[in-house]
Amino acid sequence: MTREEVFEHVKGILVETLSVDDDKVTLEARFQEDLETDSLDLVELVMTMEEKFGIKISDEEAAQIKTVGDAVDFVMTRVDA
Amino acid sequence: MSGSTSRAYTSPHSVTAAWSALTDDRVVKVVVDAAGGDNAPGEIVRGALEAAGPQLHIVFTGDEARIRPLLPQGTEHVSIVHAPDVIGYDDEPASAARAKTGSSIVVGLKLVHDGEADAFVSAGNTGAVVAGSVLYIRRIPGVQRPAICTIIPAMPAPIAFLDVGANAEVRPEHLRQFAVMGQAFAREVMGIAGPDIGLLSIGEEPSKGTPDVVEAHRLIAGDERIRFYGNIEGRDIMNRTVDVVVTDGFTGNVALKTIEGSAKAILGALRATIDLNLATKLGGLLLRHDLMVLKDALDPEEFGGALLVGMKAPVVIAHGNSRARGIAQAVRMARRGAVSELLPTISRELGTQGGSV
Repeated sequence: MTREEVFEHVKGILVETLSVDDDKVTLEARFQEDLETDSLDLVELVMTMEEKFGIKISDEEAAQIKTVGDAVDFVMTRVDA
Repeated sequence: MSGSTSRAYTSPHSVTAAWSALTDDRVVKVVVDAAGGDNAPGEIVRGALEAAGPQLHIVFTGDEARIRPLLPQGTEHVSIVHAPDVIGYDDEPASAARAKTGSSIVVGLKLVHDGEADAFVSAGNTGAVVAGSVLYIRRIPGVQRPAICTIIPAMPAPIAFLDVGANAEVRPEHLRQFAVMGQAFAREVMGIAGPDIGLLSIGEEPSKGTPDVVEAHRLIAGDERIRFYGNIEGRDIMNRTVDVVVTDGFTGNVALKTIEGSAKAILGALRATIDLNLATKLGGLLLRHDLMVLKDALDPEEFGGALLVGMKAPVVIAHGNSRARGIAQAVRMARRGAVSELLPTISRELGTQGGSV
């Protein structure tokens, strides 16, 4: 999967599942400050990412994901066989 | 059922009677968390059995070995799904909801998500039920935050009050969404025709309140689908100035507990006054019947619990100390949520808007 594809998937999750504004989702966007997500939203995002990409994310790893870019990077390191 | 313009007395019974009077022919399956609450599993099972019937099937989640002995011989319309784990009151809600997949709450929510059941009721850890609902049942697309919507026995008619604790902090748009969902709840679950919506603030003028409340007022007033009365103050809640009161979860929780505490204090003082001397006791005897009617109307078990609005299926959070009656009512409220137009209405009114106004 390319970085762009992963980004589009993550963006899709944010827009459909968390009802985030489409145009706010950029690689630099910070979940808490820019996308106005709360801690429960982030847990939901992590769980949806796990399902969608077939990966596992621990609570510690999830705590490090602060921006959309972080989420994309994380998936890239896991999905690359 | 009284409309918003009528000031006729509407007892809580007449609101809840509609939940038991089955006017449809659907068979609804309600999952009941048999392990949640102070009086689990005994009172939970008893209450659920009271509500069970050909059109209301109960699916208990919890320790099967503890539940089965409580079911009388030949019990129908009931099944059990074994879930040995429990999410306690001390557990951190979101972590527990994610990790304890064998708990009665998570197993139950997953049954609803998978289409094996239509609604979920629990008297257990509220935070975990909210987190679990968001993670497993999911929000109706377009709903940004769910809200815990409770029914308060205001005078002369019961009203809806949300959010009483799902979110500590909210943004103005969330309050607008709560207004839409509260309105749908009042119509569909409480049977109030044309409910009036009020925004809780510290003054009547639109300029009163925190910047967020002022902005919320503007958003709600600008939404034509909301029958907006305007701002109301704390003291207006119990006298039914409006049918639906909207506020953030922190304020709502504080207000609700203040109302409960005041009612308890006043009733206690009333009892003490009646017991003062022979004259007051005689007076008490004369009032006895009508006081019992009043006590009945204020009984928190009458409404059973609160509904977490915004989820794809009805989730009813019963009071932690619920006994059988409260659980039975909570289960009936869940069924009402499932067969009414509550979910389609919220889906239609918030789905088209997507994110923000």
